[in-house]
Order: sequence, then C-alpha cells, then structure tokens
Amino acid sequence: MTRLMGGVLDTLVVLFGVSLLVFLLLAVVPGDPVDVVLGESAQLADRQAMRQALGLDQPLPVRGLQFFHDLVRGDLGMSLIQRKPVTMLIADRLPATLLLAVSAFAVVVAIALPAGLIAARHHDRWPDRAVQAVALLGLSIPNFWLGPLLVLLFSIGLGWLPVSGNQGPASLVLPALTLGLSMAAVSTRMLRASLLEIMSQPYLRTARCKGLGEGAVMWRHALPNAMAPLVTVLGLQLGALLAGAVITEVVFAWPGIGTLLIDAIRQRDYPVVQGVVLVIAVGYVLSNRLADLVVARIDPRISTP
Amino acid sequence: MVRYWLAGVLVLLAACSDRTSSTTIVFAVATAPSMLDPRLASDAASERVNALLYDRLVELDEHGNPQPKMANWEAVTDRRFRLHLQADRASFWDGRVPDADDVVATYLGILNPRLASPHAGGLSHIDAMRALDAETIEVELSHADPLFPARLTIGILPAATARQPHALTDPMGSGTFAFVQRRADDSLIVRRRSDGQEIAFEAVADPTMRTLKLLRGEANLLQNDLPPELLDYLAGRPDVALQARPGTTFAYLGFNLTDPVLAQREVRAAIAHAIDRAAIVRYLFAGRAEPGESVLRPEHWAGADGLQARIYDPERARRLLHEVGYEADRPLTLSYKTSTDPLRLRIAHVLQQQLAQVGITLQIASYDWGTFFGDIKAGRFQMYSLAWVGVNSPDILRYAFHSVSQPPAGANRGRYRSVVVDRLIETAETLSATQAAVLLREVQRQVHEDVVYVPLWYESNVAVSRGVAGYVPGYDGNYLALENVRRSDAR
Repeated sequence: MTRLMGGVLDTLVVLFGVSLLVFLLLAVVPGDPVDVVLGESAQLADRQAMRQALGLDQPLPVRGLQFFHDLVRGDLGMSLIQRKPVTMLIADRLPATLLLAVSAFAVVVAIALPAGLIAARHHDRWPDRAVQAVALLGLSIPNFWLGPLLVLLFSIGLGWLPVSGNQGPASLVLPALTLGLSMAAVSTRMLRASLLEIMSQPYLRTARCKGLGEGAVMWRHALPNAMAPLVTVLGLQLGALLAGAVITEVVFAWPGIGTLLIDAIRQRDYPVVQGVVLVIAVGYVLSNRLADLVVARIDPRISTP
Repeated sequence: MVRYWLAGVLVLLAACSDRTSSTTIVFAVATAPSMLDPRLASDAASERVNALLYDRLVELDEHGNPQPKMANWEAVTDRRFRLHLQADRASFWDGRVPDADDVVATYLGILNPRLASPHAGGLSHIDAMRALDAETIEVELSHADPLFPARLTIGILPAATARQPHALTDPMGSGTFAFVQRRADDSLIVRRRSDGQEIAFEAVADPTMRTLKLLRGEANLLQNDLPPELLDYLAGRPDVALQARPGTTFAYLGFNLTDPVLAQREVRAAIAHAIDRAAIVRYLFAGRAEPGESVLRPEHWAGADGLQARIYDPERARRLLHEVGYEADRPLTLSYKTSTDPLRLRIAHVLQQQLAQVGITLQIASYDWGTFFGDIKAGRFQMYSLAWVGVNSPDILRYAFHSVSQPPAGANRGRYRSVVVDRLIETAETLSATQAAVLLREVQRQVHEDVVYVPLWYESNVAVSRGVAGYVPGYDGNYLALENVRRSDAR
C-alpha cells in the first residue's frame, strides 16, 4: 500500500513537472495570442483590452499560478479560434485517438509475439533472418511514407479500404497498420533478444531434459520470463502511440487529438496546444506506470510500485 | 478479457464513426472551417463557408466594387449612410425574413468588446447604427469614409443570436446553404436550399491523400493547396476535370528597409532584376500563376495598370550592385526567411540560385509558421516572402505601406516610411471612389518605384473535380459556385 501511494505521488510529481514544462514552453514560444484573436488590424485599445482579458498583462509567475489553479479544476481554458472550452474539444476527439491507439497496439502485439517467437525459435536460420529483415524495414519506413504506400496498395490498387477519414470500421485498418507496424518491429526485436537470452538459461535445459516439447518449453517457460522487458517496451509504446498518432492522424485525416493539435499549432491556438500536449504527456506517464505495475506482477523480484 | 477489449473497441467505433451519404458531394479541403460565426471568423476556410451560410448586405465583385446584396445604400452625408433592405432578400432557414433589427444587432455585436471580434478594427469608426424602420438602417461614422459600403460584407445573424457576446452554437443564416451538421471529425455538412443537395466539407491536410481520395471517389472536389506535380498528374487523367482561374493571391519578396544594406534602393532593384519570375512560374507553378506588379490586380477599381515590370536582367543587377560597392571580392550575403511549406522552400532555393548568378549569397532560414510570422512582424529579418490572400479592398495600401501601420499596428512589415505615400493614402480616404482611385494608383506607382518589395506573381485558383459538374473556382478562392454544382450522374 505504501509502495502504491509512493507510486501515485511519483506520478503526480511527474505530471506537475510536465504541466510546468508545457506552460513555460507555450509562454516563451514566439507569436502573440492577441493577434490570433483580433487579427493584425485591431486597434491598440482593443489589443490591450484583450491582453487583459486573456491575463497576458500579468507577470509569468501569476499566469503560472492561474494556470495550475484552473488545471486542478479541470479547466484547460478556451480555444482562441473556436471559442469553445479546450476540455470539450479534447473530449470530442479523444475517443478516436484512443481507438486508433488501442487498434495499433493490437497490431503490435499480434505481430510482435509470433514474429519474436519464430525468430528466437529459429535463431540464425532463414526464418530468423527474414523476421529481422522485415523488422528492420518496418523500423526504417517513416509513417508519413508508409501510410500513402498502404493507401496506394489497399485503397487505390485493390479498392478494399477507404483512403482516409472515419467512415466506419474499415477506415481504421490502414491508420492502425501504419501506426502499429513500425512499433511491432521494435517489439519483435526486443522479444527475440529477450527470448534468446533466456533460452540459454539452465532451467530451460532442465525442462527439455524432462521431455517437454520445444513448443511447450517456449510457451510455458521461456515466454513468461521474457515478457518483463517486452511489457516495459509495450508500456512505452502505448504512450508513444498517443504521441505518434499525430502524424498518422494527419496523414489519414483521422479525427483525433493529433489533427486537433496540428490545426491548433498552425492557427497558434495556444490553449488547445497546451491542453493536447498535456493529455499526451499524461497518457505517456500513465501507460508507463501501468507497465511498471504489470511488470511487477509478472516478476515480483522487480520492486517497482 | 478479450471480450471486454472487443466491447471497448466497438463502443469507441460507435462513438467515432460518421458516414457520408452517397448522394452528398464531398469537397476535400486542406483546412476545416473552424468558426461558423461570421462575426468571429477570420480564416479563409471559415469565411468561404460562411459566405454560403449567411447572406450579406453587400458583396464585392471581381473588380472590388461593392454591389447590393441584401441591401442597397445611399450616402446622406460623407459621414452618414442609409441602408435599404431589398424586398426580395432571402429568409433565414427558419422562414423568418431578416429585418433592420438583425442587421443592427449583427454589426453592433461585432463592435461589442466582450465578443473580441477580429472585424471590430475595420468597423471601429461606426459611431452609431440604428433601425429607422424594419427595412431601413442609418449608420453614423466618426469620420468620412466614402468607401464604407464595401465594409458591409459580414454575414447577418438573427438579432437574438447576434446580441450574445460569445460565439454562436447553432448557426442560423439566410444564405443559399443551410447548416446540417458539424461532425466530431470537424467535417461540415451543408444543404443547398434550392434543391436539398448536400455538400460535405472534409478536412484532409495531406495533399497526396486528398488527391487519392478524389481518385478513389471518396471526394468530388478539391481546390488549391496542391503541389504542381500533383496538378500535372491530375490534368493528364481523362476522368478528372481541372480548371485554373486567375486569382488574387499576390506573392511578394519583402525587404527590411531598416537594414543598412537593404535600405539602399540599388540593392533592392538589383535583386528585382536578378529574379527570373517567368521561369519560376513556368517550372514551379506549371504556368498556374501570372507575374504581377502590385497587391491589387490591374482589373481592380483601384488597381494600377501599366506599372513597368523590372525585367530579368542579371547584367543590370550586377551593375547596380557594383554602383554600391558589391563586387566579386566584396560579395553580398543576405538572409531569407520562409516557412516550412515545401513549395515555398522550393521557391527559396530557386531564388538562392538565381541571386547567386549576380553575386548575392542567399542564406535560407526556414521556420514553422508561427515562428516565421512572429519574426517578420517583429522585424527580425532581412528578406522574406509572403503572399496576400483574397485581397479586394484598397485598405490594404494603408495597412501595408502607411508609416503608422508598422507592426503591431498594421502590416507594414518592411518598416517603409514615405511622407508622400502617407499623404496620398490619407487624402484618398476622404474622396469618392473615382477620385480616390487616382491617388491609390499613385501610391502603388510610388511603392513600385521605391522597390519596397519585389512583386512576384498572382497565384491562380485551381479546382479539380471528379463526378460533378458546374463548379468553377471563385476569383478570390470563394466557394460560391457550389450554388451550381451537381453530380454528373444526376438526372
């Protein structure tokens, strides 16, 4: 219990640090929110009034205190462009991003587990080399290029799937594949390395000597022990999926917080940028914490709360 | 566990999916219209859609002349105007016909500081506005403004909505299209009031994906924001119609006139003579742009026809540089700021190569839009390139060249100072359009003579369509031709 409380406290400290960083970054980034709201032709008096209304006439520490005061109350401010609460804009878009992240995560697990097992099981033979080559390819292709390639093949060439947007379940396939494939490559390599290390352990030799088949040895003894580093990586990837979804969402016009973020950056809608970055950071921290808990459950020797 | 996971995915899918009807015409745009309140919209995407949803008192024709739309006007004195609503004006979507009260509430709403409208600055000289009766409005100005009717181009809202000092939540207008739905993905569906045809504006930021959507039949219309190589590819397809129309987007090369090097007119003129605009238009725009000399097109009522182009003449450029002491052993190095837009970067590299031919080393610095624009407004630059989009008011001349318009008070980003130009602008503002046009042409001639910037080109508006007919891009990129577009398979 004490350990759990310590973990929660750690998480809160990290979240405070992230929030502070986001606030300071947005405070020093070039550009004037008043220009965003009133345009360049605004009268000086109107500009001053707007500066006051937005609290920009206050010193930075005062603005910072106000920011944290609002944040604690769940108030991320008002969009300068859409004139709607930022929390509402994020709440509208977050389900789509979560759906994409969960689907991409499923792609990662569905590819990495069998591919890693095959590579380790056939170490240094052609299946291993093939898996490694494909994984290297997956790591090397950037999402913004892979996406259009998949579209050319599956949408334009074969006509099976929609190009972009959100027109139902079929629309999810290509963005999830695009986002998941490169991450699957990392996980595959991680699982393979972890399995190879474990397969040289004496207890696996004992299992084989007891007459267990290679499949059972891998599945029952090697895989559970190789999972801890993989889960850690998957935890990192789950967080990265939220952040990494930005590019994929833009390419596929997927209506998540990634497209909201890019639009907000383009329009200098600072409160929205701040809110989305914060949500992504929170997602990152929480997914890592979750991974720590799962790893601790898998391997009690790891005393992470 | 798997069951819960699947159930979660299904719930998220149900929450996120939006289908577009097969009879809907899909217009794939680079940016979604972000604000459907005409009092607050200032970005081009929103203003183009709002022009469909909300009727306006006045509209500007292709020459920038105000034309009666909902209302015609009379100048009672040089500071007082009377507006008469047209008898045949369209009703709001709920059937009520807009009256003078709606007009007054809309314009006074814009001037309400609590609304913080970006249009308030251009209307700040309205001292009073009142409805004389249901059809007549009187406007009192703080100073004479003969061109005032041209400012009445903002969409009219119902009075009850317009009095609210915050963004409207339920659009209600009297335009040719009615609002249907704003989906979670920010796409927008509107319905043509004449025949019920629905148009969906779907935002697809990536130009390649927009093109692929068109080719697969998921979109019917694209307009602008497509690189020339994609346009060339689309132009060669028999199933796609591509139309280019001269536009008002004016690109220019700006100078910081407070910089000691660029303060020398000879250096600026040398740069102008070193740039081969025709080659850039031919190779980077595939001919879909035309060289221009001033921010207002020559066809505009205040446009300056006959400005002498500075022709591409590298020898003359070298001679001009020689006159101010720049030679091979004392080369000139300048910095050039631009955005990260691929086409703008490509142009920057061509300019770099062309200026190198006359002995100028151009150092390109490319920044994200906010940083780039922030630097330009703050005067942290030597040279930059930008474009004026959708300019059709001569106010641009005060905004861009008057001494008092230096940022943040305006867009005189080069910090140009000319007593002559200031006086011409100020005098023109007190005269009728015909008299003002003479002085405004003189302003443009003087600015051109002083090489305040290097005028580059007017970028054409390009529309690409598939499966629809009847659409032509507007002269300023507007979407008004959607009033006539129809599916080509429709009977």
